[in-house]
Amino acid sequence: PAGPSGVTVPRAGLKKLIHPPDYSGIVFPERPKLKIMERMPAVPKVQREPRRLRDIRGPSKTATDFIQGQYGILALGGGYLRWGHFEMIRLTIGRNMDPKEMFAIWRVPAPFKPVTRKSLGHRMGGGKGPIDHYVTPVKSGCLLVELGGRCEFEQVKPFLLQVARKLPFQAIPVSKDGLQRLREEEEEKKLNNQNPWTFERIATANMLGMRRYLSPYDLHYHGKYWGKFFLKHRV
Amino acid sequence: KMAALGRVPPWRRGWQPVVQQLRWGSKAVTRHWKAMHFQRQKLMAVTEYIAPRPLVPPSCLPRKREPQEREDSGYIRLLQRQVEEIFRDNRMVAVCQNNWMPQEDVAMMRFYLRKHNIEVKFVLNEIVRPVLSQSKYKNLLPLFVARNILLVSPEIKAKEMLRVLRGVPQVNLLGACIDDTILSRRGVENFAKLPSLETTQSQTVGALALLPSQTSSLLQCSPAHLTALLDRHIQQLQDGETGTAAPAQSSGDQ
Repeated sequence: PAGPSGVTVPRAGLKKLIHPPDYSGIVFPERPKLKIMERMPAVPKVQREPRRLRDIRGPSKTATDFIQGQYGILALGGGYLRWGHFEMIRLTIGRNMDPKEMFAIWRVPAPFKPVTRKSLGHRMGGGKGPIDHYVTPVKSGCLLVELGGRCEFEQVKPFLLQVARKLPFQAIPVSKDGLQRLREEEEEKKLNNQNPWTFERIATANMLGMRRYLSPYDLHYHGKYWGKFFLKHRV
Repeated sequence: KMAALGRVPPWRRGWQPVVQQLRWGSKAVTRHWKAMHFQRQKLMAVTEYIAPRPLVPPSCLPRKREPQEREDSGYIRLLQRQVEEIFRDNRMVAVCQNNWMPQEDVAMMRFYLRKHNIEVKFVLNEIVRPVLSQSKYKNLLPLFVARNILLVSPEIKAKEMLRVLRGVPQVNLLGACIDDTILSRRGVENFAKLPSLETTQSQTVGALALLPSQTSSLLQCSPAHLTALLDRHIQQLQDGETGTAAPAQSSGDQ
């Protein structure tokens, strides 16, 4: 504390001995590293599927919470993950993690959705193109990869961030506590919003005929989702 | 409709779908950021989040110091027990401000103080303060601020301690607790100027023994006075005998 002259003399106090973290309740799976995801499913699909971009739109219902691990990558936007992305994730995480102390598991399935591509340089028409590759659709709020073991978030964050930057959608590394804190902050923002006009209120009551310019999905999304994007700063 | 410009019954007017904007443009989900309709943009602008603003900004309020939860580890308890022992076992405990001193000077100071059986103890304020606040030495608390050391000794040798400290300018005496009495710096100096216990004891004994030594002389005072008078008288008689016998007899009768 500063004396009357306002000058402090720094001095060392007693060392605070912190207890080491308790890793007793952690169960390691058989293989600590991420398994290889295949480029296409074992039985390739014959029937070509319509585009169905609604599997990108809106919040995710699957893989929203942690199962085994403590840290993971959270998708903050929608997109498609291809085999190249999977390999990148698997190799980066496999290179940077210690298999004796940490383990990683996939939270998204292998690519199963066929995507068609017409050959380059041809005019429109002639039917739907053949299947080019397979993808996994990912919605915002979905966990892609989970990491756990005898490690701290600061150890794991650098390479998870490296992976998150390379993904085709916005993603961040999170821990269990971090995710809970995000959700709590969202709730708090909703409660202490000083603006009496909210998207939800105006959309549900169809004030000023706003539903003419809104989609029926906006009644669920409350202005937080636009296309495949997740608008973080919206309430 | 154009053919019948006049009054057209409603079932003949035709019906245009309201949803006209989906006739051109991209789908709902696009790879790029789809441009929002202006009305939707206005709606998004109106329904933005407004953070709460308290009347008094938090930077003007006093900072809430979190209560420091300190798990009492065994080490802290050991150090506290040592401090209690210091205060219990030693009669003189002096608190001094300790500025930076080279290690060799520290060693020399400790050596000189050890000669007079004074130990130098380095204690941490955060351990001493709770111990003192619960013991009877509460009034010593204001001294334990910033860097300090304790000079402890089972005997009281204030003069020697002050002499050593005078030679070391980096250590300044703040106060002392001698025999459960708290003394300031000036008090310690005055205490040092006092004569030692033996001399004071001998002085008190001498002062007390003064009166009894006089009792014998007091008791013997009157007979001594009488003997002196009689001696004088005998002398005068002897002097008078050489003169005349009658005046000596009359003085003898008296």
